[in-house]
Amino acid sequence: MRPAVGTRRRHLVAAMALSAAILLGLGLPAKPQQAGEAAAHAPVTVNPAQIKEGASLFRANCSPCHGLSAQGGGRGPDLTSGRWAHGSTDAEIFRTITQGVPGTEMPANAFEDSETRAIITYLRSLRPARQAGASGDRARGQQIFFGKGACSACHMVSGKGGGLGPDLTRVGAARSASYLIDSIREPSKELSDGMVDPNNHYVNALVYDTVTVVTREGQQITGVAKNEDTFSIQLLDTSQQLHRLRKKDLKSVTHEHKSLMPAYTKDLLSDTELRDLVTYLERLRGNQ
Amino acid sequence: MKDKCRHQPQHLCDGHSAAWPRAFRQWGWVSLACMSLFCVPLTGRGQGNSPAGVTYERILNAAHEAESWLTYSGRYSGWRYSTLDRINTGNVAHLRLEWAFQTADLGQFEATPLVVDGVLYGTGQNNRAFALDARTGRAIWRYQRNLPEKLQACCGMVNRGFAMLGNRLFMATLDAHVVALDAKTGNVLWDTVAADYHKAYTFTVAPLVVKDKVIVGISGGEYGVRGFIDAYDAESGHRVWRFDTVPGPGEPGHETWAVDSWKTGGAPAWITGSYDPELGLIYWPTGNPSPSDYGGERGGDNLYSNCMLALDPDTGKLKWYFQFTPHDLHDYDATQIPLLIDADWEGRPRKLLIQANRNGFLYVLDRTDGKFLSARAFGPVTWAKAIGTDGRPVADPAAQPNAKGVVVCPGALGLTNWYSPSYNPVTRLLYVATSTECDVFSATPQPYRAGHDFVGSVYVPKPDERPSGALEALDPFSGQKQWRFAYFSSPNGGALSTAGGLVFAGDSDGNFIALDARTGQDLWHIQLGAAIYSAAVTYLLDGSEYVVIPAGAALFAFALPRE
Repeated sequence: MRPAVGTRRRHLVAAMALSAAILLGLGLPAKPQQAGEAAAHAPVTVNPAQIKEGASLFRANCSPCHGLSAQGGGRGPDLTSGRWAHGSTDAEIFRTITQGVPGTEMPANAFEDSETRAIITYLRSLRPARQAGASGDRARGQQIFFGKGACSACHMVSGKGGGLGPDLTRVGAARSASYLIDSIREPSKELSDGMVDPNNHYVNALVYDTVTVVTREGQQITGVAKNEDTFSIQLLDTSQQLHRLRKKDLKSVTHEHKSLMPAYTKDLLSDTELRDLVTYLERLRGNQ
Repeated sequence: MKDKCRHQPQHLCDGHSAAWPRAFRQWGWVSLACMSLFCVPLTGRGQGNSPAGVTYERILNAAHEAESWLTYSGRYSGWRYSTLDRINTGNVAHLRLEWAFQTADLGQFEATPLVVDGVLYGTGQNNRAFALDARTGRAIWRYQRNLPEKLQACCGMVNRGFAMLGNRLFMATLDAHVVALDAKTGNVLWDTVAADYHKAYTFTVAPLVVKDKVIVGISGGEYGVRGFIDAYDAESGHRVWRFDTVPGPGEPGHETWAVDSWKTGGAPAWITGSYDPELGLIYWPTGNPSPSDYGGERGGDNLYSNCMLALDPDTGKLKWYFQFTPHDLHDYDATQIPLLIDADWEGRPRKLLIQANRNGFLYVLDRTDGKFLSARAFGPVTWAKAIGTDGRPVADPAAQPNAKGVVVCPGALGLTNWYSPSYNPVTRLLYVATSTECDVFSATPQPYRAGHDFVGSVYVPKPDERPSGALEALDPFSGQKQWRFAYFSSPNGGALSTAGGLVFAGDSDGNFIALDARTGQDLWHIQLGAAIYSAAVTYLLDGSEYVVIPAGAALFAFALPRE
């Protein structure tokens, strides 16, 4: 049969293909976690066997989104950075794992309490791989985002900006600085919402690849696919116009393994400017 | 097309009808069998509304009772083919929704309903069940099993459907019981414990009724269960026999497991087998050894994982076995429906068993003795360099999963999977859903703990490749591809083919599709709003043919507009 991880991973792929299903909660693990408060507050003891068990559980259940080394994927945040968007105490992390995070793709997980504690122990044992925290000027970074860098032409922060690329309102809570730097310097490196690992670029569906369609009349439209199936495609073009197309009306649909976002090389964005921009992005944690 | 009957004297009636004169079943009657009208029911229709309900004889004759759907694959041969042709290539474009039934439950809807005497009997997610007026979709009764809170089911809280005998419905449950329900009320008639769900033994399979027995196979290959196939007495619920798919000490095959690895060896049996009443054998496929992707502590071939088992349905005694993927490291369960087809093979008539296997090969076996006849890759395969003349694969050592990860085709979900194929005796094509996915397999040792994940691995799709799929039409004997209808995403749904020249199939993006069985041309489709995890069934009521498919939380019934 299918390993649990494969299944959960498959759910994620299916979810990307079928955002309506996500809204309905289809395909996500169905069982509510019964972890009690007492379990959540039980001390997380540290011993090598527990770290090993936690590592094994993490690998099988969490790594598809958070990366094999827990340093984050395109989908799940870096868990080695010491930053915890939903609470950093053992009890809070316990709750995040067992109950999931409403409104995000982090599902509730049906681990036994001892397993959840083993995963926390494992995560606590990890050190950040890269001390990439940006120390630039946040205000200058914001100016670059909305000005020279023209990032806001495609990305939105707190309701301001474009809609072609991902909304970055909470990007600092979910992404490490090194991931952000990669995304700016080499935007085509990671085109998925899926898992990525510094050692192995495991990738799920390519949701930010470049799609070009040619209509029967010869019109060429390039953009990102908001959705696509066997018979239709919903394409947001580079001027952010939505095209709802039936494939039978198209001559071709081409997926290119590159991002529509330009690569911000040093010519376009100096190292200092990059640091400022990343500092701004890192501190975007939502509307708090 | 070449001589249509060269392969199959009985190609329109798969030869399992006890009602047929024995002489008619002999190979010499080629020309007679070629005349398709001879396969119009001689029996069956007159048996509708029988107070005896579904008799064993009715299931034997299911091929001739096209107005009903009496067993998981429609008939014992596993074909999922119907002789109904009122919906056909000429009018399918007019198909419209007749009714929908909401299960009010979420999760994958993998079930195949049964339709008997105007009533549809279905199971849903979380072991819900229901009887519906097959004309209107209105519920006659509903059943909800009270499942324990902590239940380990690897791949969703799914169930694939009922089996029926007399006026009893049989469901194998997620908490590893087998229950019989009264078809008129949904009341529980008996409830038998098969295994301990605390150790992650679960049932997802639709049972198979043979004579007076209810046959089921266990799930739990992700949790280190010891697999089995059971038969229960339909009347009393008492277990009649058990076949352990992992042999214990002293049993043949036990030597294929290193040390104590047999105790957690897996080899579940979670898809419904096929049955040949003439040979008196059921053909039941088995799944992966545990842990699925790490073999370091289970040296040996790991019998009877990933096998086709030929068992005596009366005793559970093993007649023969064939192992497709010895010492599997890629989760290649052999749990795909076995198709029983009689055909000429190399100049002489043979009783064949054909299976499009998850490991990427299309196998042809002689089902009398399990002799290997051929295996042909029907898509990209990198885990094996070749299949030997004895049917044993030559595994590629470079495809062995390691800690860092290695790309292997097909991926862990297989070139195809559990979802039903269909064999159409008119086109003589096998319709099978396929996936293009290759995976990165990464394996590490994992300690066994009862009731916990025991997979030793993680796998993800190959980098920079978006998994997609197709419905493909293959020559079941040569493996030659006749056509391919591309899906945008990897499939989870199977196929139904009909005498109307149609193949009905569903994709993972929610499209339910009718294709021309000869060409693969899309003749009709509808977006149902949720991934399709099952294969359609068809039945006849009030002179109208209905086609039913589950999607999301609902069952959808389609028919042609009434004149």
